[in-house]
This record gives sequence, C-alpha cells and structure tokens, in this order.
Amino acid sequence: MSTLPLNSAVATAAALPAPIQRPGRRLEVVAAPAPRRRPRLLYGIIAVAGAVTIGAAQMGLSILTTQGSYEVAQLTREARDLTYQKQILTDDVAGLNSPQFLAANASALGMVIAESPNYLRLSDGAVLGAGEAALGGSSIDALGRPAVPNALIAEAPLVTAPQSTIEGVPVVPDAVAGAGGAAATDAATPPPITDGLPVPRTH
Amino acid sequence: MTTRATRSPRRRTVAALAVVLAVLSGFILRLVDIQVVNADEHIADSQALALGAHEELYGTRGEVVDADGEPLATSILKYDGKLDPLNVGPIQREIDGVTVEVPWEQVAAEMGAITGQSADEIMKIVDDALAADPGSRFAYLKRGLTTEQYRELAALRAPFVRFDPHPERTYPDGAVAGNLLGFMGSDGQPLAGVEQIENACLAPTDGERSYQRGADGVVIPGTEIETPAVDGGTLQLTIDRDLQWYLQQLIAEEVQNKQASSGAIFVLEVATGKIRAAAEYPTVDPNNVDGSAPEDRGSRLFLESYEPGSTLKAITAASVIDAGVATPMTTVTAGDYETFPNGARVGDFESHPVLNYTLTGALIDSSNVALSKFGEMLSADTRHAYLQRFGVGQGTAINWPQEPQGVLHPTSEWDNQTFYATTFGQGYTMTSPQVASAYQALANGGLKMPLSIVESCTLADGTVVEPDLPEPEQVVSKEAADAVTLMLENVAVQAQMADYIAVDGYRIAAKTGTAQVAGENGYKAGVYFTSLIGIVPADDPQYVVLTTLDEPTTIRSSAANRQAFQKAVTQVLKNYRVLPSDSQTPILPKTQ
Repeated sequence: MSTLPLNSAVATAAALPAPIQRPGRRLEVVAAPAPRRRPRLLYGIIAVAGAVTIGAAQMGLSILTTQGSYEVAQLTREARDLTYQKQILTDDVAGLNSPQFLAANASALGMVIAESPNYLRLSDGAVLGAGEAALGGSSIDALGRPAVPNALIAEAPLVTAPQSTIEGVPVVPDAVAGAGGAAATDAATPPPITDGLPVPRTH
Repeated sequence: MTTRATRSPRRRTVAALAVVLAVLSGFILRLVDIQVVNADEHIADSQALALGAHEELYGTRGEVVDADGEPLATSILKYDGKLDPLNVGPIQREIDGVTVEVPWEQVAAEMGAITGQSADEIMKIVDDALAADPGSRFAYLKRGLTTEQYRELAALRAPFVRFDPHPERTYPDGAVAGNLLGFMGSDGQPLAGVEQIENACLAPTDGERSYQRGADGVVIPGTEIETPAVDGGTLQLTIDRDLQWYLQQLIAEEVQNKQASSGAIFVLEVATGKIRAAAEYPTVDPNNVDGSAPEDRGSRLFLESYEPGSTLKAITAASVIDAGVATPMTTVTAGDYETFPNGARVGDFESHPVLNYTLTGALIDSSNVALSKFGEMLSADTRHAYLQRFGVGQGTAINWPQEPQGVLHPTSEWDNQTFYATTFGQGYTMTSPQVASAYQALANGGLKMPLSIVESCTLADGTVVEPDLPEPEQVVSKEAADAVTLMLENVAVQAQMADYIAVDGYRIAAKTGTAQVAGENGYKAGVYFTSLIGIVPADDPQYVVLTTLDEPTTIRSSAANRQAFQKAVTQVLKNYRVLPSDSQTPILPKTQ
C-alpha cells in the first residue's frame, strides 16, 4: 500500500513502461484528521463575563435612567410649585407699576405736574426755558379726577395714602380690612427718625 | 414521452404556486392596508393603548410692549374649577395623625371662603346639576380662578374637584392705550385693536406630548413623544405709555370740562411717522370690557372720519406755493361774505371789513373767502392731485379694521360750491390720523412718512420682524413745506388763541379746525367737531400734536381745544426732553 502522494507517481511515470490503466480505482488515502482540540476555557470565561458585564451595564444604566426620571419628576414638581408661586406674586403686583397708580401716589404726596420744562445746561450753568417755579395746581388731577381706570388695582390702597385708591373713593374699612390696612401702612411707611440717622454700633 | 405521469406533477406545481401567490398577495394587500391606507388610525389606536397619557402643550400668547419695552398686555393663567356632582360627599382628612371625616357642608363652606361664594351657593350648584341629570359628572364650581385660589382649593384635597388651566390676557396698565390694544373674547379670540390686527405675531402654536406613566405617575424613560409648543412673538408698539396715560387723563378732564361727547389727542413723530400717543375719551379698560359702553370699546380716532375744516387750509397754502402761483406774501382782497362768479357763496366765521389779506393773514384769520381766492389760482384737478398726495381719501398704512379711507370725490363730481369748499377743508372727509399725517409731511420738509403703530415683532426664536411699510413720498418741495410751517407759526403767534396755546420758551406752529357734524337732517345746528393741530417745536419740527373735541358745549368753537392743546404740547416737549428754542418767530404781515 503506497503512501506516496499522487504527484510522485506522475513524476516517475516517464521512466516506467506504459502506465497501467486501473479504471474504477479512485479511492485515495487521506491523512488522518488532526485530533479535535479541547476548547480553551479562557475564551468561554471572557464571553460569559462580557455578556454579564453588558447585562450589568445595561441594568445599571436603566437604574440610573429610572433614578434620573424620579429626579426629573421631583424637579418638575418643584418647578411647578415655583411657577405657581411666581404666578401668585405676579397677580399680587399686577398693575402696581401702571402710570396712573404712580401718579395718584405722587399726587397724594402733594406733588404736581408742572408746566413748561426747564433745563440746566451743565457746560455754562445756563437755565434754559422759562425758569419759573411751579405755582398753583397740577396740569391734571390724577387723584381727584382719575379718568384712566385700571380694574387690576381698582381696590388697591395707595401706598402714600392708604385711605384712597386710584379711583379716589375711600376704601371701605371693615373690621378685618381695618386691621390689615393698618399693618400695611406700618410696612410701607418707615418709622420716623427721632435722633439722627441710625448708625450700626461697633466696638 | 409526456404522459399523464410527467404532466401531472408539473400541473400540481403550478397549482400550488398559484395558491401560494394568491395567499401571498392577500397578505400583501392586507399589509398595505394596515401600513399605508389606514396607518394613521392604527398608529393612533396603538398610542392610545400603549402610551398612557397625552397632553396638549399650550404656547403663551406674546406680550405687547410699548416703545420702551414696558408691558401693555401680558398673558397669565386662570383656572376653571370643576365639580364632579355624582361623587360629591364627605372627605377624609388627617388631622394630627387621626383620620376624620369632614362633611360636605363644611367642605363647601371652606371652598366658598376661597372662591367668594357661600356654602349654600356651592351646594346649590351640585344639587342643580344632579337635578338636571342624576348621573352628572360635571358642573362648574367657578371659572376664572386666580392661581392663589386654585392652590388653596387644591390644598383642600377634595377628590371631586378638578381644575383646568386656561390662558387669559391681562393689561397691567388698565385703560392706558386700551383703545389701541383691543381685547380678547372669553374664547381666547382677539376682538379688537392690535390684538386683532397683529394676531399673526402674537398667537402661539400649540404642541402636544404623549408618554407612558408608571403606577406612581412617573414618566417611563424613553416613552415620551413631544412636539413643543411655540410661544407667540413680542409685539413692540411705537406708543409711549407714560405720555399716553397723561394725554388720556388730560383729554378725559377736558371732555368733561367742555361737556363734549368725546375727545382725542394724537401725537406723531415728524421724522418717522410713528404714532407716539393716541389718547381718547371715553375709552375701554381691556381688563374690564363690560365696564364700557359698546360704542366706547373701539377707537374713534381710527374709525371716525369727518370734514376736517380749517386745518386743511394749510394744504391749500402748500399747494399754491408748491405750484409756484403764490408766496406767503401774495395778497388777495376779501370781504367776510362773497358770491363768486360761478354762483358759489362763501362766508367767514368772523365778520371783518374788506381786507387785503396776505396768504399768511388768510391763515391767521382762517378766512374762507380769502382761501377760496387763493385756491382758485389752481385748477380743480391740480388741487385734487395735491389733496391726494397729502393722503386725502387714501386711508393710512395702519390698516385698522374698518378704518375709513376717507372720501375725496373726483373733480367731475365737484359742483360750484365744492370747487371752493375744498379750499377750506370741506367737501371731503378724513380721519384724525390722516390729518396729522398731512401735517407730518409739512413738518418734515414735504416728505410724507407712512404712519406706523408697530415697531417690530420679535418671534419666539429671536427673529425680529419689522412691518412692511410703503415708501415715503415727497408731496411738496421742502421750500413750500417750510414756508407753510412758518406761516402756521405766525398763526400760533398772531391768531386770537396765541396767549392760550403758548408754551414758554418754545416756538409752536398751530391751526384750528371746526367741522360741521352730520346729523339726521343735514348738518347739526350749533355743534361742531373741533380740532387744533400743531407742529412742535416749529424751528426744528419733531412732533405733530392734534387735539379734537367732538361737540363741546361750554365753548362751541375750536377755542375749546386751547387748554388741551397747550397742556398736551407741554407734556410732549417735556416727555421727549426737547430743548427750548433759542430764537423768536419771524413775524410775517397779515395784510398789506
């Protein structure tokens, strides 16, 4: 039984007499297959560990996201509460910066809207304009004849004259409102200064 | 050889293929049906099933601010409190760790203390709803609750009360510029004023958001689908709110003092054509629309047209000077009542001897006869063309809803009387903004700027959109315009009103106007639509100020406007820190 490869048979053929035809015989001998290696344990461990790591990371991320969404929910709630607070405060001060409210307050302090304007020119100290003192009344009567209504502050007492509103009519004082009104006055009107400007005490 | 035996398997294959194809095409049809034809429906179905919650996201309507950026109209949220009458009853409340049952009567009383209703009223709402429908699940507790009321009610933790927020408009300055701002209907639709004209800028675009929620109400990550809402743009007006307030207060006092039916003050910036104030009385507080009569809720300034009368004599003067047929010193001889060759009869308001009037003098005495004689120096068609160029019958660039264009008939329809009447402001109609606009052209060296009330619209993404205005137009030469301004200054100094309208330290140009008011049978007798218009300061024109009083009765002539005009001009000069004039008015002769 020859173990020579087929090629050597062909190479020696010339030296041989006529080749012997052996039809039907095509079977050849092959080398014995290499013995199957045992799979290496390390790869398996790596694969499993990888899968576990991915799974763990996935779970970790998912937990973090969920945690995050709880935080988001918490912050959203806070933001909503603050929005409510802002809305309430905005409602409270709505209209208090309107020109008619400012003018009525100023008027209650005795301020008047004077006539023609005057200017002091800084470069040479010249007075431009008529240069007369504002005598007599205001050119309009913002407190006595209020004519530009504002429903937002129709009942808001004036800061400078808590008994009046921009509508000019006295605030109806009932028992509760009276107490509240007095407190409001105290808050708005600074206490009178009796002995000089207050100074911080230091040692 | 093809026998039955070989043919039959092939036929069987074909048959099987046909069946498979038929089934396959059935599937494909169905697939197309599901994925394409009815896709939207199925997506909606799946989202209804899969995504637990869906909410509309409302954008906020944009603010309207004045020329300095102070808000004139803002949006706030109000809440509608809704009851579930079927489930109304006692509620459980935990007080100091002990759960107590609070009876419905007490809950109703607590709610009433917040909303300002009585317990009985609230209980009646529930009873009525149940009487109408025993299974009723819905009745309004109160609509338009403030945020404070809403939070207090929510703190009661009554499970049968729900709250729906809805955006509402608030106007921090009340009636200041209420005539211009307009207001919104209870359905959130703009009903008047710039709220209506500029709705495209102010209106928000709503969005929506759907998501799945866990049992504790927390949004499950990754399930959100959101189309954000887009807020409306911020609309800046050319109006100055402090000036607007002062003028509104002023005209209100003057309307009351002169017992007029209404009045207005209009301030226009000469260089730009921007409306700085448009005060009216009576007017509307958009916070309380029901507090005004329906006829006072619009803007008379933009909606009422009238025959302007003598104020438009300045336009006749500008026309004859620009056409080169007269100068301020050209004279005509005029009595106080004359019959013209074509049969027209023209009389002056005040009687006077026959005078040799200069054009300046004709304006100072506001002589209809003299102006007719100057006017006839030009053909009707020429004067018609000049009137058109000054804006008569042309509307304005404001395009206020239902704003009249003004009526200027073609010259072919002018009769003999109209031929002369058009020289002194009759025979055609204008709105107050149109009159002020004509004077703006005179004050601006003949260059007429388009009127504007909107400075810009700043969209939510920061894009600033400025209104598209027509081109400025040179209506007469600078020389003609300046000559007329100087003549009008002489009117302010030499006419009867001089002492009443003077502002110390400033040069002013002014002209009065008295228009007859159309009644049911022709003109009303003895009452007039009076006006006084001025250019300040006359030596360096910056503002046109127009005051009008409709049918004043304590003083019936245009003299009624003197105080309003003097105070309005003073305030305009003060508000804009205009420095006093350093020169005197050159006096032109009235007669020669």
